[in-house]
Amino acid sequence: MYDDTRAATAPFSHVGGTGAVIRLSLVNLLLNIVTLSLWRFWGKTRVRRLLWSGTVAWGDPAEYTGKGGELFIGFLLALFLVFLPLVIAMAALQAQVQSGQMWAGPGIFIVQVLFVVLAGAGLYRARRYQLSRTLWRGIRGGQQGSALRYGALMLWVGVASLFTLGWAWPWGEMKLARYRMDNTTFGDSRFSCEAKAKPLYRRFALLWLSGIVFFAGIVAAGVAISQRLNKPEDSVGVIALAYVALILWGLLTVAVPYAWYRAGFYRQLADHTRYCGAAFTLEATAGSLIRLAFGNAVVAFLSLGVLRPWTALRTFRYVCQHLRVVGEPDWERVGQSTDKAPGVGEGLAAVFDGAGEF
Amino acid sequence: MAALPGRFNDGRTAATRSVQVTARPAGLEIRGPDGLLVAFWRTGDLRADGELPGGKGVRLRCAADPDARLSLEQAEFIRPLLPKPPRFPWGKLAASVAGVLVLLAALWQGIPAGARWLVALVPPGLEQRWGDTLAGSLESQFGVCRQPAGEAALHLLADRLAANLPPEARPRRLVVVKMADVNAIALPGSTVMVFAGLLADAQSPDEVAGVLAHEFTHLRLRHPTAAMIRATGVGLAVTLVTGETSGVLASGAAMALAGAYSREDEAAADAGGVALMNAAGLDAHGLSAFLRRLAAHPSRVPAWLSTHPDSAARADAVDRLARPDGHPVLAPEQWTALKGICG
Repeated sequence: MYDDTRAATAPFSHVGGTGAVIRLSLVNLLLNIVTLSLWRFWGKTRVRRLLWSGTVAWGDPAEYTGKGGELFIGFLLALFLVFLPLVIAMAALQAQVQSGQMWAGPGIFIVQVLFVVLAGAGLYRARRYQLSRTLWRGIRGGQQGSALRYGALMLWVGVASLFTLGWAWPWGEMKLARYRMDNTTFGDSRFSCEAKAKPLYRRFALLWLSGIVFFAGIVAAGVAISQRLNKPEDSVGVIALAYVALILWGLLTVAVPYAWYRAGFYRQLADHTRYCGAAFTLEATAGSLIRLAFGNAVVAFLSLGVLRPWTALRTFRYVCQHLRVVGEPDWERVGQSTDKAPGVGEGLAAVFDGAGEF
Repeated sequence: MAALPGRFNDGRTAATRSVQVTARPAGLEIRGPDGLLVAFWRTGDLRADGELPGGKGVRLRCAADPDARLSLEQAEFIRPLLPKPPRFPWGKLAASVAGVLVLLAALWQGIPAGARWLVALVPPGLEQRWGDTLAGSLESQFGVCRQPAGEAALHLLADRLAANLPPEARPRRLVVVKMADVNAIALPGSTVMVFAGLLADAQSPDEVAGVLAHEFTHLRLRHPTAAMIRATGVGLAVTLVTGETSGVLASGAAMALAGAYSREDEAAADAGGVALMNAAGLDAHGLSAFLRRLAAHPSRVPAWLSTHPDSAARADAVDRLARPDGHPVLAPEQWTALKGICG
């Protein structure tokens, strides 16, 4: 079906400048201060407009058509209709438990489960909103599927990972990613994704074992330090040194295997995604992912999160540089999306997990 | 005028086609390479849709056909035709900032007022359960001092002071906990907790009596419950505005504002405490002596100072109200027993 002997092309590029993103971040910081952070909805929208419009595919730039007011109203709706009622229910149930009403215990558990499911559903709805506001050549993106089902799936993946000591995680993470990709649309055509977790388990086994080594090292160091720690006045220096050692030890043992696993994950995901006869590959490597993540962490940390849009820009550039396409879809046959786009956006995600912060 | 080369998306498919665009008095005439008319965009419908990345011209939209796009590289002929892009809405921003300030002022005044009003609605039974849970967890966490002779001396002091309170305002529970801080707290539901550090620091029974009278007044005026309602209100307001739902920011703001809000409560508790001391025939200068020592050693008592600011000014206010003819409360051996309540 797919003529994979055709050469891979690199139709994506990002032409946005770093200076513009930094300037916008600083302006947003000032406006957030004077509005007690209420500007954030409009600030986020401006950042997205900048990031999207710098993303060029087959010579034409993407557009972001979302509005700050849509995010603001979505936030208010989620806060008042979902979050506050749940918090009040939680407080009432906790008061019942404290005064000895044991029936309220399972009620608290149910509310906690609802929180997890709604957090997942919020992420999915946020993605739907962002895709519906993403245009290219005047054609809208979109996302089908059920947000609540996605939230329930996330809960199930979390529980399964817990009970298998993490071994269900690659399977679960891939299942979630597949659900997202499979339901992604551009225009009237859908992406399809057949990525599998099985090929990832070799990389995951190494990651899991290095996690064990990491924890064993921490425990051994903890025992050694507590034996030497006789004079309390030395303790501040020792603790500071221990933190530095902890970070280095983590980088040494876990970061590289984790990057290797993530590179495998993204490759698997891209390699098995199709759109209208086009196939994708992502030339992600552990080294380049570490550089991206390390740079992003340094920028976000040193700027106290203010320059997070810059980290988003770096990620956009990374994807544009490393994503290849085999075969170009026949754009004549991709019609405008007929899905109804959501009227307001991202409230659940903004309230429950602060997602989509750039 | 010569036709300009452009790229056209009709908004029905994702295909891009090359077009020739000619500016006519009524609008833009868009023709395909074969010369056939593709679209005609009226001048009134034209919308600027931003610059193309890398300075490669402009993109246009048409109000009558909102999904269609037209990209032109030689933009200098087109720019004069376009409506000006909307300027940054400074007016709206200024109005929002003013609105935020008004909201802040309203919350600043409204939260304590609302808390005073809500306190009256809290049923005493709920308040007691609330306070007992809190007291129980603090007691089991730090441990309670229970030397019988010391407890007897403490309750002798407390009963002298509480005799002048209406029965429903008397404390239900008075304990000393093994905490080194120089502090005493009143909890919702009529519990007073004296920290061992305060007894160790106190120089005379009058000082302890002054602190007890102060805390008893907090209870009579239901300040602990009001403070909890205020903290909840501040936390709720912070969560609603910032959307930060982990509670870190909310509890931080509640703690930061607690001191500012409690000044009024502290002044009222000082005045009420002096009145209790005067009525019981005790020397209220004990309270001011205690406050002065706190003011002289601020670094030793961070916990007390954080909720009890301006110790020196408060001591002066207490002195103005205190009657000069107080009597000693405890015999020397009772005072020794109270100091040794923790063994």
